[in-house]
Amino acid sequence: MQSNRRQVFAALLAAAAARKVKGADTPAVPGKRPMILHNDRPEDLETPVKYFDSWVTPIDAFFVRQHLPRPAAVDPAAYRLNLTGLVSKPLQVSLADLQNLPQHTLPATLECTGNGRAFYTPKLPGIQWGRGAVGNAEWSGPRLSDVLKLAGVDPAARFLEIDGADTGVMQTPDFVRSMPMEKALHPATLLALKMNGQSPDIHGFPARLIVPGWDGTSWVKWVVRLAPVAKESGGFFMNPGYRYPKYHLPPGTAARPVELEVIEGMPVKSTLTAPEDGSKAVLGPIVIRGFAWAGENAVERVEVSIDGGARWRNAQLSAQKLPFAWRLFTLNWTPQEPGYYTVMSRATDTAGRVQPIVPPWNPSGYLWNGIDRVGVTVEKA
Amino acid sequence: MMRTALLLLASALAAGAADQATIEKGQKEEQRTCLPCHSLRIIHTNRLSRAGWSKELDKMAGWGTKYTDRDALLEYLVATYGDDKPVTPPEMSADGRTKQ
Ligand code: HEC
Repeated sequence: MQSNRRQVFAALLAAAAARKVKGADTPAVPGKRPMILHNDRPEDLETPVKYFDSWVTPIDAFFVRQHLPRPAAVDPAAYRLNLTGLVSKPLQVSLADLQNLPQHTLPATLECTGNGRAFYTPKLPGIQWGRGAVGNAEWSGPRLSDVLKLAGVDPAARFLEIDGADTGVMQTPDFVRSMPMEKALHPATLLALKMNGQSPDIHGFPARLIVPGWDGTSWVKWVVRLAPVAKESGGFFMNPGYRYPKYHLPPGTAARPVELEVIEGMPVKSTLTAPEDGSKAVLGPIVIRGFAWAGENAVERVEVSIDGGARWRNAQLSAQKLPFAWRLFTLNWTPQEPGYYTVMSRATDTAGRVQPIVPPWNPSGYLWNGIDRVGVTVEKA
Repeated sequence: MMRTALLLLASALAAGAADQATIEKGQKEEQRTCLPCHSLRIIHTNRLSRAGWSKELDKMAGWGTKYTDRDALLEYLVATYGDDKPVTPPEMSADGRTKQ
């Protein structure tokens, strides 16, 4: 009885909450189209798949992930980047100094480490991202190695520590990350001042780290401090945050902390953007679309199935076959009969990695890269 | 029979069959303790077991959250956002582009 009443009450509460939310206007995020609103303070926004219709994702449709409250607006003239730690001469670098270094542009896919978390069972705490915590942009700025050269890196430094301007409330840990020096000095690793030729704004103005092929958590926003260090940094967002079990675990079980590793390169993955899951289509030609990416590798092939994975056909891929950046794919399909179809996509990369049917469950719900799958009902006109 | 009934009662108590008053208290506690760092959407989109919610409350306590009625808060979260509750799709934000 108790239990029944509790359920009824809970349902009433939920209904009241839903009414309240529906009645009020949902918040708008400056500069953004309507986005899937996982959180409003701080903003966590997912791109609806229907916006993914171009190789470069426009800023107004690009996903947003924030752990901590967004830092106050930066005055470009007052901005300083601190170069400290194991360097020959500690330095404070202005935005003009960064703009005076040789500028490079790199197209690269940025994906939140937790993109697809909602597809794991059992469920995991965290933002319940579906398909859209990913985007492909053209990032421009100096090489991180050129920035570090200004201060001179001590050869004893094995890692680079990076701090963003965002800080937590009360005892929330600061967002500090580190990466091996080798990746920091890689010629493709940039300190971006521009995103698609514009100011990156909510995406990390005035300076954002671009760590091509690695998960989003390494791409620190609002960078204010770079410090070459001897050892990997501690701090919540390095440990236990953003770690992945070395050995796969039975779903729903805990990992041994010593067996959790820092995530580096991303796996191979494809995402269907059309038709949309649960949609209806009229009997006739249908274009199946999507995109595929593979961390530090390039995408070699995408196969599509329209019969639940029994038979696979090669999709057409966009011409540019680059490491770090996604490729768009399409397949023209003319169903002969009405009915419900399960459409699937499976990518293979240049290193021969293939998307699995079942991605390994892990305690934080990271790196979902299962073969994508949507259902579409085809009806007679 | 008696044994089964007792077992059932015991498990209902263990499962913490919360009453309406407790759940209301829990919701107030959420309003009081959870808003300093983030809005409620990031909480309400999750569907977790009792153990899962309890772990989240410990995590947030570690970051400075102070509870006056942790038990009621946990009952409210489990009763409203338990892992047996259906997932509701998140809302869409309003258009934030400036209109020309
Ligand atoms: C001291 C600041 C602070 C307070 C107060 C706080 N939280 Fe959080 N919470 C955070 C931060 C920071 C994150 C995001 C962590 C991240 O992005 O990795 C978060 C994320 C979450 C999440 C998402 C899952 C996760 O662990 O990332 C849940 C659920 C949550 N909080 C529940 C609560 C509840 C319930 C309360 C009230 C009892 C609360 N929080 C109060 C700081 C706080």
